[in-house]
Amino acid sequence: MLFTSLEFFIFLPLVLAAFRIVPVAQRWAVLLFASYVFYGFWHPFNLVYLGAVTLVIYLCGRALAHSKRASLRAAVLAGGLLVVLGSLTAFKFYDFVAGEIEGANLIPHLGLPRLGVTAPAGFSFYVFSAASYLIDIYVGRLEAKQQLGSTALFVAYFPKIFAGPIERAMTFLPQLWSGLRSDPERIVLGLQLIGWGLFKKVVIADNLAQMVDHTFSIVAFAPAVELLISTYFFAFQIYCDFSGYTDIALGTSSLFGLKLMENFRRPYLSRSTAEFWGNRWHISLAHWFRDYLYIPLGGSRAGALRRAINVMIVFLVSGLWHAGLGYGVGWTFLIWGALNGAYQWAGLATRSLWRRAGEALPRVSGSATLAVLRAVITFHLIAVAWVFFRAASIHDALLVLRKIGARLSELPSLLAIYPFTVEQLTGFGLIAFLLGYEIIDERRPVFQRLAAAPVAVRWGAYYLLIFALLLLGRWQAKEFIYMQF
Amino acid sequence: MKPLQRSALLFVAIGLALYAGLSFGCERLLFRNGHSNALFKIATAPVADYDWVILGASHAMPLDFSDFNAYMQHETGLRIINLASPGTGSLYNRFVLASFLRAHRARNLLYVVDSFAFWSRAWNEDRFADAKLIRGTPFAPTTVKLMWDYVRDDGVSPRALLDYVAGFSKINNRDRFQRDAWEGEAQFDRVYRPSASAVTKRIAYLYPDPEAPAVLGRYLDDFARLIEIAGQHDMRIVAVKLPMLTQFRNQLPHEAAFNESLMRVLTERAVPLCDFSAELEDPKFYFDTDHLNRAGLTQLFQRRLKPLLMTSECGARPEAAIRSSSSHSAL
Repeated sequence: MLFTSLEFFIFLPLVLAAFRIVPVAQRWAVLLFASYVFYGFWHPFNLVYLGAVTLVIYLCGRALAHSKRASLRAAVLAGGLLVVLGSLTAFKFYDFVAGEIEGANLIPHLGLPRLGVTAPAGFSFYVFSAASYLIDIYVGRLEAKQQLGSTALFVAYFPKIFAGPIERAMTFLPQLWSGLRSDPERIVLGLQLIGWGLFKKVVIADNLAQMVDHTFSIVAFAPAVELLISTYFFAFQIYCDFSGYTDIALGTSSLFGLKLMENFRRPYLSRSTAEFWGNRWHISLAHWFRDYLYIPLGGSRAGALRRAINVMIVFLVSGLWHAGLGYGVGWTFLIWGALNGAYQWAGLATRSLWRRAGEALPRVSGSATLAVLRAVITFHLIAVAWVFFRAASIHDALLVLRKIGARLSELPSLLAIYPFTVEQLTGFGLIAFLLGYEIIDERRPVFQRLAAAPVAVRWGAYYLLIFALLLLGRWQAKEFIYMQF
Repeated sequence: MKPLQRSALLFVAIGLALYAGLSFGCERLLFRNGHSNALFKIATAPVADYDWVILGASHAMPLDFSDFNAYMQHETGLRIINLASPGTGSLYNRFVLASFLRAHRARNLLYVVDSFAFWSRAWNEDRFADAKLIRGTPFAPTTVKLMWDYVRDDGVSPRALLDYVAGFSKINNRDRFQRDAWEGEAQFDRVYRPSASAVTKRIAYLYPDPEAPAVLGRYLDDFARLIEIAGQHDMRIVAVKLPMLTQFRNQLPHEAAFNESLMRVLTERAVPLCDFSAELEDPKFYFDTDHLNRAGLTQLFQRRLKPLLMTSECGARPEAAIRSSSSHSAL
């Protein structure tokens, strides 16, 4: 079931009504049942995968909780992780790698068997949550209160199942155990988040997607200006698609009194790629990699070289994790990860230089102009990396960058004479609106401002949002990019 | 009632009032920009009685492109209304005919038969939910009632009815300020350059479920019911297959089986089939893989359609029917 579908708008009030009717102690059961209905709505068979992952981590969790022998505990953890992360790897890459090996023709007439199956929607997300559950029990961060129902809900919770946030059991489960209560304030906040998330998805992302999809399907024929526009548009499309989903997820969960973690914090206002990846973009995944990969690898404690290697490993694995997100499985994702890793290397290498420059020129370093300049540069670096994320192949990505690069000096004059379509102008208008909103939100959250505003202003804003959704939204149920694997 | 509940109710009430206002505005806009939608044509038909009503899918639509319907009327002296809709099979056309017959009459029905429209629900039940068709359909309580019958009896999605009643597709119409014309109309004077890949793509699009012959019987039954409705209103029915290029015709899946089944239905009901499918073999008569352009249609009209419209017979000699020597270009 998609958040943007009619079914969801019927489903959600029904679940909320059932949730409020039953006693607090049984509310988790309503949410679990609703989650299975939600997830199995399209492909009931997907519930088998979900059930298998749930059972594996529940049983491994029990074994970890009851076992004192270090070697046995390590074996149980390794076994559990092998099953959940191994299945993810196999689903994502086995057929692709088999094809690449055959294609390389190292062994003539080699015919490798194929799995012929892809992972169900959201698998990457709930498998990562499941892995964190096991690791947290193993290291003692999570109290091993063994309840199958709450473990099942942690894995299957419908607002987050398709595209996160990648929740941690240690923040999720205590909320369940203490009893779920919704109150009017949380409901209002939830509805605001749902409305804003829908706006980002169906009004901004899906309108930009029309032009992006078209241009990236004909990169060999598209002029440089169009490729540039589509590169910009894609940066905002993927942001609004993904953060729109997250806002709806957070808002939906808020209706049930369950707080999910923040996943986006106005990423295109970042002043460095380190800030972008560390604090503003897909925060739950960044923190997952930090806690379960980067730190176990040694993090920044083992010297500069080792740190650089660790950073690159994290970004390469992140690239692999993203493979398959709506744009197939290909080497482009590895390059996307490597490029973002390289940005971090450059940032680490020049960090002391920038610090010294800042100390020498405190006025400049604190100026708004420099802040804007840094944000613009950061955005462009990220946008270049997004080209590899979006393009169908490395060849296409390089062609896009080459064509734009070759006309770079002429772009201002080309843009001046470019016959912008109404759709493109609308796209730029929506992006300008989004950036304006986020700049205001950065200083003080818009929701807080609205709460303090007179009723007429507040309601006016709500009606504007609702009617913008009705008038401008693309409601033809286009899937969220991040839920496609 | 608690203050919060009161506020919520007031908010919803104002929202509904605004929605109703917006919906009304969009309905008015539809009457300004409406053009090719069958139900719109019925609602704005200048007269109640017609000699011919034309039904079918997009292949029948060029007969009403530009000034062609006026040309045909001028040439024949007959009143003709073309209610063909893109991608629609017998179920949707039955719905259109039933809508038409509520307040109008016609002596004859020309049904342009396309096999693709009998092979998939995509061209039948699913068409009712197409936003493009719904947004061009004027709101009328009688249409609500009729659509409800199709939801109840014919497997049309309730979502289509809900959309129509709520007016959502009209409000959410990004082409709201443009004329509601099918995109093919802008190409009416274009000449097609043959392309094998274009034909393959088009066939794959028109026959999304080529291995599902079980549905053929269902849509032929619908067609039979359409004939029945027309018969109850004393309409004479003629089925027509319009010309197609050999390259296209040869790739139609299960065409022989379809023809056989169609003939059975038509013969039982004494409905003649005029098969003009091999009539025009030159690509210059088409504007794309399978739609006749103005030149093609003019040829066909002079050779075949004009006699047919004037005599209701397939094989009438052209000269017997031609009363006027004026050519289309003279219009």
